[in-house]
Amino acid sequence: MDNPIKSGKDVINDFFAEILNVPNADEKTVQKLVDLYGSGKFTERQIVNAMDELTQAELKKIEKEDE
Amino acid sequence: MNKIKSINITGIRGVKEKLPLNLDKKSILIFGENGTGKSSLTDALEWFYKDKIEHLSSAEVGTKNALRNVFLSDSEEAKVEILFANKNLDNEKAISHSLNVYNSNSSKEFYNYAIQSSNENLILRYRDLILFITATKSEKLTYLQSIIGFNEVREMRALLKKFAGKYSKEIKAAGYSNKKSLQQSVLMECLGQNIISPKQFFDVCNKLIEPLKLGRKISSYKETRQILKSIEEKEDTEQIELISFYNKIAEVLAEIEVDTYEIHKVYKTYHRSFTELKKDFDKLSKLQLLKLLTEGLNVLKKDLVTDNFCPLCQQDKNKIVLIKELTKRIEDLEELEKEQRRVYQEAEELSSILENSLSSITALLKEKLLKEKESVTILKKLQNVKTSLTAYSEELKRDILSKEELTEPSILVINKKEIKELIAEAKKKAKEILDSQKGNIKIQIAVKLARAIEAYLNHRRIEKEQEILTNRQITFDALYSDFIKRQEEALDGFLKMFSSEINKYYNLMNPGEKVEDIKLIPIKNKTGEELEGITIGFKFFNKRKTPPSALLSESHINCLGISFFLASVKAFNKSNQFIVLDDVISSFDSNHRTRFVRMLVNEFDEHQIILLTHEKDFFDIASSEAKRKNWLVVSLSWTAEKGTSFETPLVDLRATIEQKLTTKNTDGLGNDIRKYGERQLKQIASNIEAKVVFRFNEQNEERMLNELISAVQGTVNKHSSSDLKNKNNIDSILGSPLLIGNKTSHDTTFKENIADLEVFWDDVKQLVKTFYCGDEQCKSFVAMKFYDTAKNQIRCKCGKVCYDWKK
Repeated sequence: MDNPIKSGKDVINDFFAEILNVPNADEKTVQKLVDLYGSGKFTERQIVNAMDELTQAELKKIEKEDE
Repeated sequence: MNKIKSINITGIRGVKEKLPLNLDKKSILIFGENGTGKSSLTDALEWFYKDKIEHLSSAEVGTKNALRNVFLSDSEEAKVEILFANKNLDNEKAISHSLNVYNSNSSKEFYNYAIQSSNENLILRYRDLILFITATKSEKLTYLQSIIGFNEVREMRALLKKFAGKYSKEIKAAGYSNKKSLQQSVLMECLGQNIISPKQFFDVCNKLIEPLKLGRKISSYKETRQILKSIEEKEDTEQIELISFYNKIAEVLAEIEVDTYEIHKVYKTYHRSFTELKKDFDKLSKLQLLKLLTEGLNVLKKDLVTDNFCPLCQQDKNKIVLIKELTKRIEDLEELEKEQRRVYQEAEELSSILENSLSSITALLKEKLLKEKESVTILKKLQNVKTSLTAYSEELKRDILSKEELTEPSILVINKKEIKELIAEAKKKAKEILDSQKGNIKIQIAVKLARAIEAYLNHRRIEKEQEILTNRQITFDALYSDFIKRQEEALDGFLKMFSSEINKYYNLMNPGEKVEDIKLIPIKNKTGEELEGITIGFKFFNKRKTPPSALLSESHINCLGISFFLASVKAFNKSNQFIVLDDVISSFDSNHRTRFVRMLVNEFDEHQIILLTHEKDFFDIASSEAKRKNWLVVSLSWTAEKGTSFETPLVDLRATIEQKLTTKNTDGLGNDIRKYGERQLKQIASNIEAKVVFRFNEQNEERMLNELISAVQGTVNKHSSSDLKNKNNIDSILGSPLLIGNKTSHDTTFKENIADLEVFWDDVKQLVKTFYCGDEQCKSFVAMKFYDTAKNQIRCKCGKVCYDWKK
């Protein structure tokens, strides 16, 4: 059988290769996800932690502005 | 792609001594009766590549414990050595007595090869054939996705979906709009207008402090706080704290008041779903059986129960029918489990809103001013609010599988009137205190400014938090949509291609049987958004049918299983060009067996195939096809001493016997001589066309030496009464006590000694010599095919050994 079909790995790699072009996606969030995938840490716990960190960083920024 | 040069197995499962299999990259057909250790070979390969053996991987058995041959000593390692066409990948994998596993090849290349190979389809066993066909639609999807390496895709899709849902729920539970409007109402109260920007906030604050004539302007939050500090007089502190205390009560309760609407609304939904689900209590209680049934199905599919009976109730039951029934029950229960999960999600949502309100009221109840005498009534009312919120939490603790009912929503209420009155009362008190200080402009302004800055900064924080979470939800929604589009496109392409391959193999094995156009069809859920399973459809006498287990026989279902495996091999095995097929044709009739072998040798000519069977007639069919394609053909045997081994070639057996005689080693010697005699007598009997009683194929090979020798003697006496009858030593052999014995001779009570064995061996050799021409150019038995019609003689090929023979 010729194999023009994509394996699971192909699908995921393609997705991450083009993820920054997904319309309406927040760049910082996407970049964090790309980093996690790149370092083999794309797990629920790691994503939760990364997103919380991002949220706290954003909120701290506004808190600093508000000081 | 990689092929195997040789496999050496030692101490694994039924194999005790070294079992060498020299393949030299060729395919091989292996015959072994049940119990000779065929599966040990497959198990060893499965362990080598997958690090476990599926049918031994239950918690009860444990692959590692069952892997080592039971007769191995503690100091011996069980091991599998495979040498490959690519030498860099040669590896010996060993497991010690303490179950530590070692690989001799520690190269990166081998590591990558092992990882890649662990995901390839290398081994198919009979027990695995029906797994896919009888699997539930969601299992089919899971299984297929795992075969095509979509496990990661499935996991990633689930993660993206989970996060999109998580942020949507968090936003809903947080009630940002209400929180923001509460802060705006405080700003309205203090500054007389809604505030939408920092600039507006500072402008309005500057207006507020104008009467103080401070000669300073506010242009930052820091300056706002500094000014606040400068205008607060020490003697006003107590009044300010009191006003702040009452304002805080009003604000916290205002927030809880808003939440009570949401709490009650979500509780009503939860109550309805909970009650609805509980209506079918009997069915619901059977959910507890789901794990048991799923485990039972696994046991059946792993072939841990081989006979047709239910392992739980011990009643007779056709295994396939039982698998079908269990699959249906599991599917029903899984639907119910989905409903149950939905109810639990509603409970989680309610719990999250309650948590906000409960933590706010709990914090409020810790205010030190509530301990004052004047606060007794307020304290009691606040405690009432907490009690009514806690009542909802208590409802969430009710077990859906208990007999208890949830409290009716109409009974479970938070006293909103009391909350409203309390808010009004707190506001009134704060106002009264402030009004009592009318002449004190500083305190009037300080209270307003303090409340305003807190409310505005709260508002900004809430707004930012909402913005972050909304962005995050939109992002994960967008990523999820993009991802499922990619997944579905890839899966669709695969299914089309894969279906056509399955169709091809199936029809090669079942031509003209009116099962055509086999397709793997994706099934979406009720909303049409989610892929929830895959079914198999096909045309049966030109009518489209699904699923196949309803119409096809066991044999056809197995054909479908084989087709599925072979299509997977061609589609996805990238590192290895070999496959192991262990007893996969057990339910096939002879027509299908022949077509299967032909399909295999023709369509998989480029592959190295290790084909194992315990069925003699299939072995015979396959042998001729296999030899035509230059495959190796061997038989397995098993003895207690050696475990599984390949049947010794005759020349090696003779050398073994001579060696044992020289060293006076009688261990197994009688058996070796009988085995040698049996195999030679089969040749003699076949060549002189000695007649034996008819037996079916599988029993035909079981004839023992005494039966064969009697048949040969009968034939010789009849056709060569004046010549060969007098020249053979059959009578001596027939008279030997060593002839007595069954195939393994374990039952004989006769004690063999070396002298008897020497005589017996000489007799057997003499007999063979009578019928065999050892001339280098001839090396053939006397045979009817060399019959000399002129001289009426039976003779060998060259004619040097010949006897008078009347036809």
